[in-house]
Order: sequence, then C-alpha cells, then structure tokens
Amino acid sequence: MAAAANSSASAAGAGGGSAAAAGLKTYFKTPEGRYKLQYEKTHSAAVLHYNHGGKTVSQLTVAYLKEKPAGQGSTPSTPSSSSGMRSAAARLLGSGNGNRTLSFVGGNGVSRAVSGSSRIGGGLGTSGGIGSSQAVANYDGKGTYIIFNTADTLFISDLNSQDKDPIKSIHFSNSNPLCHAFDPEAKEGHDLIIGMGLFNVTEATIARFWKEACCGPTLQQGRCTSVAWVPEREGIFVVSHSDGNLYVYDKCKDGNTECTFPAIKDPAQLMISHAKSSKSNPIARWHVCQGSINAISFSPDGAYLATVGRDGYLRVFDFSKEQLIFGGKSYYGALLCCTWSSDGKYLLTGGEDDLVWSMDDRKIVAWGEGHNSWVSGVSFDSYWSPPNSDGTGENTVYRFGSVGQDTQLLLWDLALDEIAVPLRHPSSGSPTFSSGSPSAHWDNACLPTGVLQPSPRMRDVPKLSPLVAHRVHVDPLSGLVFTNESILTICREGLIKIWVRPDQNENNHQSNSSELVLGNPVSKDRVITTSNKATGSSFKQSSAVVFT
Amino acid sequence: MGAASSRLEKALGEQFPEGERYFGLENFGNTCYCNSVLQALYFCVPFREQLLEYYANNKSTGDVEDNMLTCLADLFSQISNQKKKTGVIAPKRFIQRLKKQNEIFRSYMHQDAHEFLNFLLNELVDILEKESKVVAEPCENSSLKKNSNGPINVQLNGTKKEPVPTLVHKCFQGILTNETRCLRCETVTDRDETFFDLSLDIEQNSSITSCLKNFSSTETLNAEDKFFCDKCCSLQEAQKRMKIKKPPNILVIHLKRFKYIEQLGRYKKLSYRVVFPLELKLINTVDNSDLEYSLFAVLVHVGSGPNHGHYISLVKSHNHWLFFDDENVEMTDESMVQTFFGSAQEFSGNTDNGYILFYESLAEKS
Repeated sequence: MAAAANSSASAAGAGGGSAAAAGLKTYFKTPEGRYKLQYEKTHSAAVLHYNHGGKTVSQLTVAYLKEKPAGQGSTPSTPSSSSGMRSAAARLLGSGNGNRTLSFVGGNGVSRAVSGSSRIGGGLGTSGGIGSSQAVANYDGKGTYIIFNTADTLFISDLNSQDKDPIKSIHFSNSNPLCHAFDPEAKEGHDLIIGMGLFNVTEATIARFWKEACCGPTLQQGRCTSVAWVPEREGIFVVSHSDGNLYVYDKCKDGNTECTFPAIKDPAQLMISHAKSSKSNPIARWHVCQGSINAISFSPDGAYLATVGRDGYLRVFDFSKEQLIFGGKSYYGALLCCTWSSDGKYLLTGGEDDLVWSMDDRKIVAWGEGHNSWVSGVSFDSYWSPPNSDGTGENTVYRFGSVGQDTQLLLWDLALDEIAVPLRHPSSGSPTFSSGSPSAHWDNACLPTGVLQPSPRMRDVPKLSPLVAHRVHVDPLSGLVFTNESILTICREGLIKIWVRPDQNENNHQSNSSELVLGNPVSKDRVITTSNKATGSSFKQSSAVVFT
Repeated sequence: MGAASSRLEKALGEQFPEGERYFGLENFGNTCYCNSVLQALYFCVPFREQLLEYYANNKSTGDVEDNMLTCLADLFSQISNQKKKTGVIAPKRFIQRLKKQNEIFRSYMHQDAHEFLNFLLNELVDILEKESKVVAEPCENSSLKKNSNGPINVQLNGTKKEPVPTLVHKCFQGILTNETRCLRCETVTDRDETFFDLSLDIEQNSSITSCLKNFSSTETLNAEDKFFCDKCCSLQEAQKRMKIKKPPNILVIHLKRFKYIEQLGRYKKLSYRVVFPLELKLINTVDNSDLEYSLFAVLVHVGSGPNHGHYISLVKSHNHWLFFDDENVEMTDESMVQTFFGSAQEFSGNTDNGYILFYESLAEKS
C-alpha cells in the first residue's frame, strides 16, 4: 500500500481534486513515461442512494461512432438524424428529439413494446419504465462515447469532453442493467444490448421476469452475467447467465416466440441444444458449466468463444462448430473475467486472486502475481507497441492491464522470448513457452481437443511481475479499457477515470490529445517500477520482464 | 417462528436433506455470539459426528457431572434427534454451564465470538484429555489443577507433550512452523506451534489469500527485536517466517477486525472489505503442497463497534446455504456470502462483516 498512500497530489489532470482528497495520486510512471489523470466521468450520486451490499456491477465500454450513411435504420419512423449516436440514443432512450418514443409498459417489465428499431431491446434490455432521461442537446453523432452501466442506470458520456456528467441516462425501474455490449459494425445504426438482472428478489421473480421480458417459459432462472456480439456475424449475440447457461440470439428474429430447450440432466456436463422452431429466439442454448458463467469473450475474428466461471474453468469453444477446443482450471477459485489479444493468439483470465495468463499452446503461459485481491477486469493494450519496434517483425512483447478489487490498476509486459522459466522443474510437460514464433498452435496442439486441464501447480508456471501497480480509485474496480489516447478505469460505483498516455512533450497533454503520437514511448525513461507492497516475500522485486 | 420454519421446509421441499435438522437457537440475552458459533460447529459435520459418537459411548455412565463437553454433546444430540425437521431449541443447559464455568461469559454483555470459540475448543480438549488420562491411569489423582479458565491462547501450548489426539485435535488442529534464519551464521531454527485457528491481520480491499501471504511473509528481526541465536550465542539479526507444517482438516480463519487503537485507548472495529473465496487454496505450507479447502460456514459480526452488535452465521449444508440468526433459520443463496465481505470505504455503512470463516479440507473428502 506504500505506493498508494501519498496525499501530495500534483496538479496534473482536471479531475485531480477529489482524487487528491482521497489520497490517490493523479499520475503513475511507466517505462514509457507518465500516465496522468486527465479527467473523471461520473453520474449523479443519487443513483447510488441504496445500499447494494457489494453487488453493484459496473461495466464500461467505449463506442466509436462513425458518420453513418444516410438511410441507415430500416424503420421509417427512426428520426432522420445524420448522427448514428443520436439514432442509437433515440432508439435506446426514446429521447424527445424524435418522434419515436419507446412505449414502455410499467408493472412487470413487459417489453414487447418496441418493434422494429429496438427488437433487441425488446428481447433483453429495455424493460422497465424509463425514469429519467436527462436529455442534453449538445452532442453530435460522430465521436467517441463511453457507455457504462452502474446500479439501476445506463449512462452515455462523451469521452472527449471534460464534462463530468453523462449526456444521457436510461433508468431502469424494475431491474438493473448488469452488462451491455455495443456493436459498432451493425449495419442498421448502432445496436446496444443490455443484460439485466434483478436484485434481492426470489428466484421465482427472476424467472417471471425472464418469461415475460424475454421469450418462452423455458428460460432458466439466473441473472445475466455478460453479453457479447459475435464478431463478423451480423446480428448474432450471446448472453451468459448465472445458472451456467449461455443463449445465442439473432436480433433479426422476434424475441417473443415460444421456445423450449430440453432439461439439463447433468449440470456439470456441456450440453448444446438448438431451438426446434426456426422462428424461435434464442436460437440455441449452451449449458456450459455448473454455477455461474462469469464472463465471455470472443476472439477478434469471431471464431472462438472463451468463457470463465464459478467453477474456475476457462473454456474455449469453436463457436461455429459448437465444439470445446480446450480449457483449464484456475489455481485459485472462480474466474471472473477474460479477454483476447488483438491477434487472437493469447487469452488473459483473472479471478479470485492473481492473474493467470494462458493460451496459444492450449496451456498456461505465465502467471501474473501482484494484486492484493481478486482481479475483476483484464485487457490487452492493443495500441501500445514496444519501444524501438520498427513496425515490422513479430510483436513479441504484449502489454496488458488488469484491475482488481484491491482498487489497483496494474500494467504488465509480457516478453514472450524472455519469459522466466521456473528452475527446479523437470523438463517434461513443463508449461514453458516455446520461444520463437508464437504462431497459433491450434492444429498441432499437444493436447487433444476438448480436454479440460486440472489446476496448475504454482511452481510449474512462470511468474510475471507487474510493471506498475497504481491505486487508481477508492472503491474496488470493475473494468478497464484501452483507447488510443488513454486508459479508462471504472470502479464498482460507476466512477470513471481517464488516464492519458505519456506525452512525448510533457506539457501538451491536455490541450490536444488527438495529435499525440501514441504508442511510441520515450525509451530513455525506462524505470521499471515495481510496487513495494506488503506482500513482500512473494512479490518479486526485480521485474521478470525487461525490454529488449 | 413456526411460520418461518415451515417456510424453510417449503423452500427446500423435496430437497430437504435426509436426516438433517435445521433448528434455530433461542437467545438468552446477548447470547448470539454463542448461538452463531454453535451453529457453525454443528454443521461442521466431522466434528458433529465425532461428538455424537462420543455422546453415544458415554451416555451409559450417566452420573458424570455436567461439563462443557457433555452439555455440548447433549445439545447436538437433542437437535439431531428432533422429530420435526425445523424449529427452535433453547440451549439452556449449555448456556448455564458456560456461565458457571467462565465469569467472562456470565454477564449479559456483548461477547466476542472468537474468544468464545477458543474457550470452548480448549475446554473440550481439557476435558477429553483428562478423561483419556483417567482411563489410561486410573489410579492417578484426577484432581489436577485446571488450566486457567480464561480464553487461553492455544498457539502457545505447542511444546506440551501430546497425549492421544482428541476429536477436537482431529478436526481443528494444525501445526505452524516458525522458521528463523540467523543472518550471521545462516542457521535455521524451526519451532512448531499448534493452532486451532489462524488469526489474520487484515488490510482494506484485500483478499484472504493476500492476508495469508502477509501472514507468511518474511519478517526481519533487528534493532530492538533481535533474535537469540543458539549457535552464535548472542542476539543477532534474523529473518523469520511462519509456514503451515500440518494443515488442519477444518481450517478456521479469524479476521482481526477488532483492533486496539492506542490513540483512542480502546478497540475499534475494522469493517475493511476482505474478500474470501468459496474455494480456498492454502499456499503457505512448508512443502508447498497445494491444498484446497471449501467454505462451509461464515460467522458474521453485525454492528459498528466491538462492544455491541450482533452475530449471525451462514452455513452450508448439503450444498444449500442457510442463514442462522438466533431463532431464525432461512434458506439463502451462495451469492449471499459476498454481501459480508465488508465495506470498501470506511464510512460507507456496511457493518455486516465476515469475522470467522470455516473451511473444510477437500482432500479429506476424497
């Protein structure tokens, strides 16, 4: 904690005030320079008036909106706005600037209301009455927006404005939005799906909610844990639930047809069933595991789907073949999050303590040790490039970040050819990384397809130490996102901080961030900052990852 | 009450575990510390089974004077032999005995559940050891002076020569080893200590695994606090660390939420958010074996201070989670556990915090 407790905050960043008050630094150092707190985004505190008992889930995504060609949106009644965002917002929010107001039925969240433009909303999200939709006139379509859900509200904020408050909010009165996914590639405007859950209700109520808001009576109880669009597959999305089920939906289909899936005989076994009727939506149910699926993630090409869950297993499926490719158990308990590298070669998982870094050869590659509590979000920094890289050659250093319930953001570098292989280990079957070409080994893998591996033994896995550990919020964190200009972190309570990347000419960081040459760190400034935390002995003081 | 218990039966329906009883315990005025511990111990199945076995074997003697052991065994047997599946029981005899035995628990004041657990387990050990001694050497005078009645710290009793392990030992006892390495001569001195629970210092927004790491982290003894090295025959700087030599079957973890604050001159409750997993890997063992434990009970302290408040327990029985609050027993969900992690900020109001965690070894089961 020593690294964090410093009340002398510098004046960097517009949002430094409240951070300083909480004893948080407004910058952190990396080998390539300082990341500075640029500004914060939040929402009216009223949202958090209730005691959520630690259950609040906040999720953050960044939406890049391009100017959409005219005529987007198949529904004639969609406001003829040139702005995709406005359109999306109009669809979603029913804001007053169009003639389409989403009609909501109160009471039990019956949301058969929105046909046409919001079919998905009809299926999943827009149940419940819109309580407040703070319309702000001043936003135009093109640009980068932050979408985040926290407590019972979904917010949209302009990433590049210094305005702290969101420009839009959708309040859900019956249930809480728990997760969402945005599809920038959708041909018809910008589709957003929102996964819902209910707090403090009996299972029966959840079931009823699902019955009415979703589709047939067969949907199992269990709140929604994660939603994702399938890349490269227009209109197909996947929703995971806390009962171990995963449903595949087609947004083009009506969400209200009767559909039945066979009963699950053995909850511990994988079972994939398709809807009998071609009309029904969801079109398929995958029963993946016993207990909750905590997160899902598609490989960038949409070919593979990774799931992590309460049972501690990472599973990777060939999505179109509906086949388990491989999987493995965490060392500690449940896994909470997972993500792919942008080249689809590696997977990160995080969970109940520490961070396991796995993939490629269908095995664990490294183990990131550095968090003091559970890891709640992981992400690769695909905008970062190693120093002195000329853009050719293979990228053998990966940068990734993780955030945890210890309120810290950690950054890591994984140098594939320099990964420390533990000593005293018999050479056979050791999970050493095969250096050289880190090309995918899907086809000549050392393990047969579909095999789940047991927990690794700690001494068998190469350890990785973080480059930087920085306490970024006062509350446990729930996610992070890398953008070209910055790192975004969000805490459980829905406060977002934007950490602008190091600038080559230090003093220019606020005025014109878009002009920065990014991912080109100052190579002289090579401070390998290891955090001096109380976990002393187990924490390697010398970083295992060194730049070449 | 009746309505509540029938609701529980209804909620479980056909899934009501065969032969299992879910009974609330009456509160005799601030005895929730006792009730919550008793429930956790009752649902510690190996402990319950051995105690009931003991009760069955010793019932015949009949005329033995009541003690904590017989009272506890009697209570457990009473619960397990109820005709009804749910209801409320008054642990009257047990409480009376406890108050007679130990003046600390005599008052109607709020008591510390950990202190009580400690007292109870040590008391049981004393009685059992005495009994086995009486059996082994019947001529020996059995009027041995009792150990101090106060809450004794078992961890210091390690050097005592051990007789046959009692049922308490079999369930709860583990061995810690204290490795001290003299920085001058490099000699490593091992000293073993037994324990019934691990008391962990806690930090804000941390996890149990992180607290366990801290517990086993290397500490340097220097300056005022040097180590007397037998080989060097003098005080030397040394490095010390604690590791688990023999992990217990039932791992009881006590979070040190009550901390003495010198400036205030009193104890203060730390509501820190400390996350604990349903499945725990015990990492700080001597032989680096990866031992897995599963959470089966959580004692929760409700309230903002050490001198008042309430205790409740969450218990896992036959894969269902149950919520015990004195007389009340309710079905709950696994996800309920995470509402007792604590609060991420000091004044954010959540004062229902996990205080004592009971984990059972998964190795034992297979």
